[in-house]
Formats: sequence, C-alpha cells, structure tokens
Amino acid sequence: MAMWRAAARQLVDRALGSRAAHTSAGSKKIVGVFYKGWEYADKNPNFVGCVEGALGIRGWLESQGHQYIVTDDKEGPNCELEKHIEDMHVLITTPFHPAYVTAERIKKAKNLELLLTAGIGSDHIDLPAAAAAGLTVAEVTGSNTVSVAEDELLRILILLRNFLPGYQQVVQGEWNVAGIAHRAYDLEGKTVGTVGAGRIGRLLLQRLKPFNCNLLYHDRLQIDPELEKEIGAKFEEDLDAMLPKCDVIVINTPLTEKTRGMFNKERIAKMKKGVIVVNNARGAIMDTQAVADACSSGHIAGYGGDVWFPQPAPKDHPWRYMPNHAMTPHISGTTIDAQLRYAEGVRDMLDRYFKGEDFPVHNYIVKEGQLASQYQ
Amino acid sequence: MAMRRAAQQAARFAMLGPHVPHIAPAARSLHASAGSKKIVGVFYKGGEYADRNPNFVGCAEHALGIRGWLESQGHQYIVTDDKDGPNCELEKHIADAHVLITTPFHPAYVTADRIARAKNLELLLTAGIGSDHVDLPAAAAAGLTVAEVTGSNTVSVAEDQLMRVLVLMRNFLPGHHQAIRGEWDVAGVAHRAYDLEGKTVGTVGAGRIGRLLLQRLRPFNCRLLYHDRLRIDPELEAETGAQFEAELDAMLPKCDVVVLNMPLTEKTRGMFDKERIARMKKGVIIVNNARGAIMDTRAVADACATGHIAGYGGDVWHPQPAPKDHPWRYMPNNAMTPHISGTTIDGQLRYAAGVKDMLERYFKGQDFPVQNYIVKEGKLAGQYQ
Repeated sequence: MAMWRAAARQLVDRALGSRAAHTSAGSKKIVGVFYKGWEYADKNPNFVGCVEGALGIRGWLESQGHQYIVTDDKEGPNCELEKHIEDMHVLITTPFHPAYVTAERIKKAKNLELLLTAGIGSDHIDLPAAAAAGLTVAEVTGSNTVSVAEDELLRILILLRNFLPGYQQVVQGEWNVAGIAHRAYDLEGKTVGTVGAGRIGRLLLQRLKPFNCNLLYHDRLQIDPELEKEIGAKFEEDLDAMLPKCDVIVINTPLTEKTRGMFNKERIAKMKKGVIVVNNARGAIMDTQAVADACSSGHIAGYGGDVWFPQPAPKDHPWRYMPNHAMTPHISGTTIDAQLRYAEGVRDMLDRYFKGEDFPVHNYIVKEGQLASQYQ
Repeated sequence: MAMRRAAQQAARFAMLGPHVPHIAPAARSLHASAGSKKIVGVFYKGGEYADRNPNFVGCAEHALGIRGWLESQGHQYIVTDDKDGPNCELEKHIADAHVLITTPFHPAYVTADRIARAKNLELLLTAGIGSDHVDLPAAAAAGLTVAEVTGSNTVSVAEDQLMRVLVLMRNFLPGHHQAIRGEWDVAGVAHRAYDLEGKTVGTVGAGRIGRLLLQRLRPFNCRLLYHDRLRIDPELEAETGAQFEAELDAMLPKCDVVVLNMPLTEKTRGMFDKERIARMKKGVIIVNNARGAIMDTRAVADACATGHIAGYGGDVWHPQPAPKDHPWRYMPNNAMTPHISGTTIDGQLRYAAGVKDMLERYFKGQDFPVQNYIVKEGKLAGQYQ
C-alpha cells in the first residue's frame, strides 16, 4: 500500500516538477552517512556526529515508525549507501565525510525527497541536478559558524607565530629558540584580509578586533555600516587590489562554479611574498599544486586549513608534505559543540518535514527548483 | 681606570672577608663615571638562522642590533650564548663587566656567587620580561640595579596564550599529526574537540599580560574569571566582562581553562602542586607561559597521563633549556614549545629598543622608565616582594 501511494505520488510530483518535501505521513526511510567513530564512539556520550552516535536521533525516529539506516561506507558502486539509494526518502550527509550525491545517484533515487546536510556546505551535492529533480536541499545554517571562525583564528596564530616547529623540537628532545624565533611574528599590527564576509567571515573579524590588526574584507556586498564601524574592517571592492596589501588572507567563500580554482598560480602570485593563507572553506577553491609550489618557494610562508580536494585526502596529497603547513582533516565544524548544534538542526528539520512545515528560511540551499543565491 | 677602581674595591672587600655582602647599596651608583664601559650580553645563538632575517636582533650574532652604536661610543660589547659552568665564556667576563644583559629565552643564571665576583658590575638588564633568573635579593644587597623592558612582550605572550588555549581545546595537534602521516580519521580528533565559546576561562594573575588576554578573549563569548591580589579597574572589568575571584582555590574548580599569569617569586614557586591541580575540574586545560617552576613538574605530567588535565601547553619549563628527558616533552596532550612566545621578531625589536634606551640613560646618568625597575637602591619591585 505504501509503495502504491509512493508511486502515485511520484507521478504527481514529476508532473508538478517537484518532489514536494512536505508530503505524506507514513513511515519514511532515512539514510545517514557520517564518519565512523571507532573506539572513540563510546568515550563521549555527546559524540553524536559519528555513525555510532547517529546524531542522537535513532530513538526519536524509530519510535515514530521511521526506518533509519546509518553508514560511513559511501564510495563506489557496491558501497552500503548505494544499496539504499533507490528507496530512501531522506538522505542526511555531512561535509566531514561527504557522500557525493551525483546526478546519477539522484536519478536512481526514486523516492528521494529531501537532502539534509548535517553541517554547512552542500557542494558535495550536484545542486543543479537536485533542483531539476525537484528535491529540497537544506543545511543547518549557523551550526558551525563560531567553530570555524575560532579555528581560522587558531590557524592564523599557529602559522604567524611559527608554533609547529617549536612543538616538533619539544617532542624530538630538542631546544633551539633561534630555529623558531627567526620567523615568528605577532599578529598585532598585521594586515588581515578575509575573502568573503558572510556569517563566518564576520565572526572572524569580530574575534580579530582586539588583536589590533588592519582588517580588510572583500565580498559582493558591503557589510552594514554599523557593524563595519564596530569591527573596524574596511571594504575592498576589488579582490585583486586587496590581496597584495595582506599579510594574512582567510578564505570565507562557499565552493561554487564561480569560486572553484579561483586561487590559482596567478592569483597567488599577486599576494605578498611571505603571506599566510588560511582556508577552512573548501579545498577546491585553491589550485592544489599552485599552493604546494608557493609553500615550497616561500611565497606562501604558511598555509593552513581543514579542507582538501578530494575528501578524505589521499595519502599522497601534496598538502600533507609541503613545508610550513597547518593542515588537519576536515574537523573545524565538527567539534562536540557543533555536532550537538547540527544534530539538533537536523532533528528540527526532520520534524518539520514529517509535519509538512517549512524549514527556517536561511537553511534552504535548493527549494522548488531554485538554488540559494550564494550558489548561483 | 675602571680596573684600578675595581682593584681598590677588591682590596677593601678582601679586608672584610669573603662572605660579607660586599658593597653598601649606595656605592655602586648608577650615575658613575662616564668613560668606556664593558657590556656583556648573553643571548641564544642564531646559528644558520642568523642570516635569514635582518630583524632577527635577539640572537647572539645580531646582538640586539646595538653593537655599532655601543662601539662607536667607545664601549666594549661582548656577546655570547655560552653561559653555564665554571669555564664558560660568560665566566671569563664576570669579574670586570659593568653591565650584564640577559634574556629569559636563554637565561644566564646570575647567582649570588657570580654577583659576589662581579666587582665592576652596576647594572643588570633583562632583554625581555622576567628577571627570576637573577638572584634578586643578592642583587639588591649588592647595590645593583636590575631592570627589564616592561611591556615589551606583553602582547606577544597574550596572543600566544590564546593560541595554546585554542590548540588544546580544539584538539588541533592530533589532527595535524594525521595530516602529516598520511592518515584521515575525523573521529580521532572530533570526539574530544570543543569550541572555546561558552567555556569558563580563569586567569591566575591579571597584570599586564592577563588583561591583554582577557581583552582578546572577549569576543569568544566565554565566561571570564580572574584572580589577583588587586582588582582591575572597573572600566576594564566592564569592557571584558571578567569577574573578580578573591579566592584562588574557589575559582579553580569553576574553570574549563586556567591560564597562569603571574611572575615566579618565592610565593608562587611550586604553587600548582598535586593538591591544587586536583582542585581543578577533570578535563581542565592549562596554559602556562609564565614560569615553569610555578608548577610541580611531576604533578603536571601525572595529571596529563590520567586525563585529569585534558591538555597542558606553554613555553616555559624548569630548568631552561629543558633537558632531553624532561617529562613535559612526552606527556600526552601537551602543546609545549621552547621558550619563544616573547621573542617573536616584533618582541625582539621592542626589547632591543628598550635595552638601548636604558643603556643610553645609564651612560647619561638618567633614571629609567619607572615601571622597568625590578631592583633599585636595594629594594625589590612590588611583585617580587
């Protein structure tokens, strides 16, 4: 009966050009793809972001009669995810272990209505294909903005203050102050430019303020004048004019067709020699080899971030081995605090979906065939 | 001329016997003699890094950038990194140095014994902040002036403390290790990574550095507490939102993060022992860029091993340089470095300028900026009493 109803609904939806996300009561099949927790899963009851923790919503979903399949196995034609593509209604993905929702997978997913991102950043989904198929795509906007802004400031300090060589000396039994001090600087008085001043960029600027830097920002839109004044940041309309002024550059734009590969060899050359670059946005915004080359030559004095292309980064990704880096796996937005926030945001949107209600408006990435503005 | 005066003094002291504190405080006057002075500086060696950066003035090779200035005035300037043991280069110059410049990043321990032998010595300058490597009571008794470049590294150290709080709270280092080892395991980092936002951060000491730290913490939206002998001024309290905690041992259990911001004195030596660490919350993060000897070395290592301390970071040790087998190198969840936070290039340029300024005033018989004095006319500065 459920299958007949589902089939009828699909005919109607296809005719309407949308897989309306507020249809039918009745049991849904929810699939979630997260990173595996391994031996860490039991160490912290708040570790809801891993497969084993499953966003902490298994009990809530199953008690309402829904089916909840959770896996970390997402790559290749024989993976666990593939087994559930055809009949799942909702797919929950996360940028920290992204399930690539390709046009092909979307085509096969006959029951699929809703794509939820547990976190921020839905570029692992073919958004135009999702829009054309009438899917709704939403993320938990705001869930990790503070986390990422803190993390960006951390990496700026690590690189500018030359922390890592000092730490390496310590664990290797060494002591050589000069080996660190000859290229260690305070952040105070330096010029810091953020490329993008959306939610995360603004939170970063606010945290930078007491450091008494010269703060610049580039974006399509100028920040509200009161906030600009409060933060003390100057608007730079022309990105390529801003770059050479900066001692530190932080990337705070989403990955879109416009921003993919925008920091290539030419644009990196426009930056000051000895620039520090922090990118917690998306790896593919940078030209991978151009960054590695610039770190080797010293044109980039330090590059840090938690994003790579692809993810997980392969063992031989050049950013692992270039000099003066402060890279980690993709973790900045998946602190325990952020996990709790995005788990709650996903739960809230599922609740609204079951009830046929709209989501918070800023959560939508694709709605009724339209992409959110930052992806256009 | 200086040597004859020294010889006369030596003869006078010999009559008094070897263990008498040998000069009345007024006698090694800091306004003494024009004339050529012997200035000795002890700094860390630059080695292969010395030539890479002309602003790298803090190393022995660059000698604070004041060699030309000193020698053109007829003074003698001896600079070395060799400071330990009876046959070291420093020992050769103790007997006749007028001025000794030391630095906390490679500290020459100016013991009572060395002071007793330093017959010409008038002035001890610290290139940086923190003069606990000098036996201050002995210096005071000997009538020496001790001064440091107050303010020269306050911002540097405050930035560095905030960095280490974030490194530990956000569990950065395990993630970095994965990256350089070819691994990828988000869970291995995320299961114990937290935002700083909303946490309770307490600073033990709210002097210059403590206050700068509180200001930098403010936009992180933490709960800020501070303990000190004195309250900070009400405007700054209001600006940072920091709450005064009169009782240190009442503040400690409230804190997710504890930052040390007081000098090493007889009162603070070893004050963070096993008992006091046990009063802190399980899973506390501690950052100490103040002085290593404020902590009980073993108690910290044990607490990191049990996890009572979830993360310990800092750039200070006892002793320095830290020996190869110092336990803090190998304890889990540490964010240690050698003593570097106050010796960024920016910090070096500031303290070099401050030393130069004080030498100039010394040559002219003028006072120093009042906040720079650690020992003056037989008295120790307030924080060391």
